[in-house]
Amino acid sequence: MGGALAYLDPGSGSMILQAVVGGVAAVAVMGKLYWRRFLVFLGVRKKDDS
Amino acid sequence: MLRALSERGLADWEALAASELFREKVAEGALVATERVAVENLPDDLPTRGAAAVLRHERIPVVSYPYEWPFGMLKDAALLELDLLLAALDEGLVLKDGSPYNVQWRGGSPVFVDVGSFERLREGEPWAGYRQFCMLALYPLMLQAFKGVPFQPWLRGSLEGIEPAEMRALLGARDRFRRGVLSNVVLHARLEHRYADREVKSELRQAGFHAELIRANARKLSKLVRRLAWEPGTTAWSGYGGDNPYGEADAAAKEAFVAEAAGLRRRRLVWDLGCNDGRYTRVAAREADYAVALDGDAAVVESLYRRLRDEGSSRILPLVGDLADPSPGLGWRHEERRTLEERGRPDLTLCLALVHHVALSGNIPVAELLDWLAGLGTELVIEFPTREDPMVRRLLDRKAPGANPDYETDAFERALSDRWRVDRRDTLPSGTRILYRAAPPA
Repeated sequence: MGGALAYLDPGSGSMILQAVVGGVAAVAVMGKLYWRRFLVFLGVRKKDDS
Repeated sequence: MLRALSERGLADWEALAASELFREKVAEGALVATERVAVENLPDDLPTRGAAAVLRHERIPVVSYPYEWPFGMLKDAALLELDLLLAALDEGLVLKDGSPYNVQWRGGSPVFVDVGSFERLREGEPWAGYRQFCMLALYPLMLQAFKGVPFQPWLRGSLEGIEPAEMRALLGARDRFRRGVLSNVVLHARLEHRYADREVKSELRQAGFHAELIRANARKLSKLVRRLAWEPGTTAWSGYGGDNPYGEADAAAKEAFVAEAAGLRRRRLVWDLGCNDGRYTRVAAREADYAVALDGDAAVVESLYRRLRDEGSSRILPLVGDLADPSPGLGWRHEERRTLEERGRPDLTLCLALVHHVALSGNIPVAELLDWLAGLGTELVIEFPTREDPMVRRLLDRKAPGANPDYETDAFERALSDRWRVDRRDTLPSGTRILYRAAPPA
């Protein structure tokens, strides 16, 4: 029953999926995610820029 | 049942304890009753020293595991988790995992026992328990609902459950078009592969991931799970209780025998091994604090569970289990999941219409069965169908002539009285079945 030591790997793919399947709100998140990746690709933004 | 908390665990507990959800769900019985105890008042030898705080939980009579549950129990446990997740989100909390092992039972009612699963929501983070929920609840339910394959052997074989890629491989082309499969299985498996070594948490936060997405996903999952169905159908054992070949006269005599044995004194825990429709479990449970109804046939346990749930029974726990292939110790050092006997020994055990199956189908020598039962230190109501019994004859007909020579009334009675004090012996009206009431020798 998940003691203090139980560490759960949420899974990167599983996390991304949750942003994909959430309907209209998810589209906005995924759009932004890919837009940021595009800017990183162009060199306009650094990877960890927030 | 005590739980030690770290500093961070304490802060999460305080957030939960202050919430409306906590009061409401504990009152409903959906969440285990929990209170904080003063650390100073605990004995020094407990491993709680150095803890920021200690919680005391209400005791669950008998702990059970998803691989012992029929379909309906796993489904209801999954729905309870999603319901609690949604309630938690309303109060700025979230569940940090998604494991059905966090759910236990008071008879036919599920209760969420892992209060430590609740934590304060960190805005921008997805639900960490989603993958685990899929692997231990959603996929096993899909496997049984879509393919008719029992999930129990798989969950017993893997405490982590079914991986997304494994689940995708188990489903056929047609199954991909079933509700929820494309996203929760196919896409899930693909994204898992693609993002295997990438960190996405901060990226998702920066992209504006928010709790509404968790809520939308939990609602969808809940709808999806609600629609998953499995009908027990007719198996060799269902209907065995109702239109059995021995008739109502035997059944009534058996019921009276069990009622007398159960009425001798109040028992803490009764086991009914090979419970079938639970008719005799109910009789025994009237005079006991709690009863476990165990049967190897998931279909009869499913039917029994549904009836107990609908009646709101809180004293009979229906479980799927086979004595010749019982729940083992599992996990680290075989200690994270225990055998049934390590989770509470019975003081009264019913073995009705059981011995011939264990001895003749399971090929466990009768003396072995009695040795194991004697080791439990339990009182016993045990039925012996003689070699002339039609059911015994049917089982023996399948075997070589002269098989199971130890299966004889005399040998059984000698073996029984070697280990117990036999207090009562009744032959049932059919004449081919004998009931015994026995107590451990003083």
